[in-house]
Amino acid sequence: MLFSSIPFLYYFLPSVLILYFLAPQKLKNTVLLISSLVFYGWGEPKYVIMMVASIIIGFVSGLLIEATNEKSKKKLIITINIIINLGFLVFFKYSNFFIENFNSVTGLSLNLLNVALPIGISFYTFQILSYAVDVYRGTVKAQKNLINLATYITMFPQLIAGPIVRYSDIVDSLTERKIGFEKISTGLRRFIIGLSKKVLLANALGELCVTFKASDDKSLLFYWLYAVAFCLQVYFDFSGYSDMAIGLGKILGFEFMENFNFPFISKSISEFWRRWHISLGSWFRDYVYIPLGGNRVKKTRWIFNILVVWFLTGFWHGAAWNFIIWGLYFVIFLIFEKTPVGKFVTKTHVLNRVYTLFFIIMSFVIFDAVNMSEAFNYIKAMLGASGVPLVSTEFIYYLKEYLIILVLSLVGATPLVKKIATRLTEIKGVKTLVGILEPIVLIALLVLVTAYLVDGSFNPFLYFRF
Amino acid sequence: MKRILNIITSVLVLGFILTLSVFAWVKPMDDISVSERRELAKFPDLSFNTLVSGSFMKNFENYTLDQFPLREFFRTIKAQSELGIFNKLSNNSIIEKDGYITKIEYPLNEQSIENAGMKFSFVYDKYLKDTNTNVYFSIIPDKNYYLISEDENYLSLDYEKLVSSITEKTSYMKYIDIFSELTIDSYYKTDSHWRQEQILPVAKKIAGEMGVTLNSSYKEDYFEKEVYGVYYGQYAIKNLSGDMLRVLYNDHTMNAKVIDYQNQREIFVYDISKAKGRDFYEAYLGGPLSLVTIENENATTEKELIMFRDSYGSSLAPLFIEGYKKITLIDIRYMHPNMIENFVEFNNQDVLFIYSTSVLNNSETLK
Repeated sequence: MLFSSIPFLYYFLPSVLILYFLAPQKLKNTVLLISSLVFYGWGEPKYVIMMVASIIIGFVSGLLIEATNEKSKKKLIITINIIINLGFLVFFKYSNFFIENFNSVTGLSLNLLNVALPIGISFYTFQILSYAVDVYRGTVKAQKNLINLATYITMFPQLIAGPIVRYSDIVDSLTERKIGFEKISTGLRRFIIGLSKKVLLANALGELCVTFKASDDKSLLFYWLYAVAFCLQVYFDFSGYSDMAIGLGKILGFEFMENFNFPFISKSISEFWRRWHISLGSWFRDYVYIPLGGNRVKKTRWIFNILVVWFLTGFWHGAAWNFIIWGLYFVIFLIFEKTPVGKFVTKTHVLNRVYTLFFIIMSFVIFDAVNMSEAFNYIKAMLGASGVPLVSTEFIYYLKEYLIILVLSLVGATPLVKKIATRLTEIKGVKTLVGILEPIVLIALLVLVTAYLVDGSFNPFLYFRF
Repeated sequence: MKRILNIITSVLVLGFILTLSVFAWVKPMDDISVSERRELAKFPDLSFNTLVSGSFMKNFENYTLDQFPLREFFRTIKAQSELGIFNKLSNNSIIEKDGYITKIEYPLNEQSIENAGMKFSFVYDKYLKDTNTNVYFSIIPDKNYYLISEDENYLSLDYEKLVSSITEKTSYMKYIDIFSELTIDSYYKTDSHWRQEQILPVAKKIAGEMGVTLNSSYKEDYFEKEVYGVYYGQYAIKNLSGDMLRVLYNDHTMNAKVIDYQNQREIFVYDISKAKGRDFYEAYLGGPLSLVTIENENATTEKELIMFRDSYGSSLAPLFIEGYKKITLIDIRYMHPNMIENFVEFNNQDVLFIYSTSVLNNSETLK
């Protein structure tokens, strides 16, 4: 079920909130767990059992790790846990990729498994793994209550597209959390803003990208328009989803970590990745990069470490070479930014932003490509090397058609609106006015979003495929 | 104060969601959407199988979209937002210009033109090639040709290329160009079709090319209320004026015998009461029907005409009644060409293939 859908907004969510708020404290997790299983089962009924199995394995291994004092046994249990959970992930997500590549290298023609990818498997697998590893490291205590652990893993706001919530961040809230009007109103605001980002901006930008891809009237500027639109689409799609997840979490009494922090204002690629999909970046940092030695190692080892991390980051996003290359592409810039020239570039005004945006835009062209051949063709065209004209009729038409959306998206991708809102609320009297107007604006946005959902059919979530 | 504002925000927003939610649960189901001219999804079958297969969930989503309370209101809000807030040129690819609303038909689908050419060739080779029939071909431009094709603010078909491409593929037929016989006034404001009262010059030109002179005068009858066409509902902006449905009649049209073979019944040339229905254009020759014949004992010639046509032909064919003893209308969107031999013998007739640019550019509808 999508957050940005009529069944979620007007059937599932109100029903869950009524049950959740009416339920006594000790039953709230049960209500949340059942609701989350319904939410997940709505889209993937047959994979609910597999997810529950993963949770039980995580639960049991957590208890076993804590129960034993022998390091070797702990290691064995955590290894088995990792193998099983990663095994599920590899089987469902990567088996076809491995078979295809094996076939092309060996010339054999093994049949593809063609298994459907369970929604959210990449996200919940990482949560289960981080929980077990944290218990193994002794940074958290094993959860003794299966319902509490299952509530954490399956919690519908973050189940299928993150943020990747750490167990340590919400362990206290699982047993004791306060729900009040402040949290509810803040959560509702965050949820509706995220919903609007998704429905009003990301979907429109997505339509522009689809239109571009189907066009026979491409031009150099049309390629750039597409590339910028796609970057913004992914941003508003995914950050909108994260906003909705964080907002829903707040309404239910939880605090999830932030996942985006205006990444397009970054002055370097490394800064970009501190602002983009923060929960994934920090997961890889804490569970892969630092265990490998991080940057406190020899230069060659450091390069190896970041190669591993960015290979995995790319591969996590999808079982295709363009995702792997997309991940490894960033290694070049992370190394470059450590060199004197790189430091000069990232510290020079304007140049640093141009550099960052240019290579980020290119990276998303690779990210969106069906294969590397398409990615190269697109990049070639964007660099003026494919012989397409500078301007085309369709480019002019669609630029006009989407101009307001593009301007709103570009402004919305910067902290400008947030800064203005903060400044305004600092003025005496204005704060009260903003407070009074807030519900009206939120309801107006909700009406608008509902109108788009009722009338439209274009509503994909990009990060569902991960 | 902050606490009070938080309470107000929570209560109002949650109240809004809950109110619509309750409304959605209790609202009786609607059968059809008049503005979109389609049946609406109903509450799906709920069973173990539909749950496990996921079909219940998919159909439930369709149901919630189709049966959502105040659906038309929300569709209008969306349209106004697209045009007003986001300053888009179109809503659902439909634009409004000079009081006309029309769907952007773009780009030229060369594969579709190729397909249409193949379909026509199939009919020609199977039925017409070695007969003594006279075969003609004409293309009806959609109203975008007159409304936006010269306006660089909009995307429109390359009509010149379309015509040259399809006529090249149908060179065995004599092409009759009617583009210059029409203007934007020849079309309804809210519908895709042409207006019968404006296409007499077209009928005369085509008939003339086929060797038949049309001289009759006509009287006009009309439906008492304004009618709204196919684009009106899709556009979802409600403050537009509608169209008047007029029909041209005389003794020839009044006395002609019309048989609808699809439903095995006799019908009238015009049935203005159908303007009340979902598609006012059904007032002409019963609307979308696969095979219709019109017989006129008092025709000015003994000739027969066979028209391969789309919906535009329904309003054009009555204007040929005067000159033809029998007219057979065949719509190969609803009838496979292999079936034609069961009903029609091709021998010494005029045969006219007449299709709109919209059908040619979306010819997957042709069987």
